Amino acid sequence: MLTLASKLKRDDGVKSGRSSNTAPESTRRVSIRDRLLVKEVAELEANLPSTCKVNFPDVNKLHYFQLTVTPDEGYYQGGKFQFEIDVPEAYNMVPPRVKCLTRIWHPNITETGEICLSLLREHSIDGTGWAPTRTLKDVVWGLNSLFTDLLNFDDPLNIEAAEHHLRDKEDFRTKVQDFIKRYGR
Amino acid sequence: MAEMDDADDLGLPPSHGGGSGSKSAGDKMFSLKKWNAVAMWSWDVECDTCAICRVQVMDACLRCQAENKQEDCVVVWGECNHSFHNCCMSLWVKQNNRCPLCQQDWVVQRIGK
Repeated sequence: MLTLASKLKRDDGVKSGRSSNTAPESTRRVSIRDRLLVKEVAELEANLPSTCKVNFPDVNKLHYFQLTVTPDEGYYQGGKFQFEIDVPEAYNMVPPRVKCLTRIWHPNITETGEICLSLLREHSIDGTGWAPTRTLKDVVWGLNSLFTDLLNFDDPLNIEAAEHHLRDKEDFRTKVQDFIKRYGR
Repeated sequence: MAEMDDADDLGLPPSHGGGSGSKSAGDKMFSLKKWNAVAMWSWDVECDTCAICRVQVMDACLRCQAENKQEDCVVVWGECNHSFHNCCMSLWVKQNNRCPLCQQDWVVQRIGK
């Protein structure tokens, strides 16, 4: 992270130092997305929920990171769930792309890792979808809440899991914990 | 404030006038030597930072700064009274014609500086 931040500073220095026709080229190398991310990643790391950890495999790519959520309450307590967050070049006009890497039995996450979280929806008719006023902090807090407040059995993506919960809550709990033992430790 | 007649006495050192003079000078406990005026100002908009690129609306947006087009970057106000950089907002309304702050349908009220 520090590397990109210092690159931004250096580019600004170059911009003011050189003649005007070379300046735009040197600054265009750093995209709008990356400029936004420098601020957003710092804000995210300063306000991370206690159940979340982020990892940037390449410090020069602020647009790609992994999130680990370890819920401390509810059905998913004891599990460790990995997410992959990829921020497209068109950010913040479009939302980050998020995938769940840990196989999970969850009404709002499929076994293949697709996630149903309103703020990640690019086109929505109501006000709950993506908006450029949202930040990475909102995304991470939203993902974290999928294990608590936002856990939603009424509008499921994994219909089978939601029906399972409706049918037999204890059996649902057992299956969730079984998945955690096998995939989410 | 002191009357004009008394103002002449203000500058006198206490020792100068002797008996009678020192009495009138002693009445003035304070005299104004210097006065610094301080004024506050802010832009006449409800939100002074563009919620899309997070740069002050009166400065050029992130895109225009990067492309060195600071002069062309103007502000747009919606009917909802929220303001953004016009370039930021025109990108967003292509996807969703609502104010990203209040979700009302976006209707332009004014464009300018």
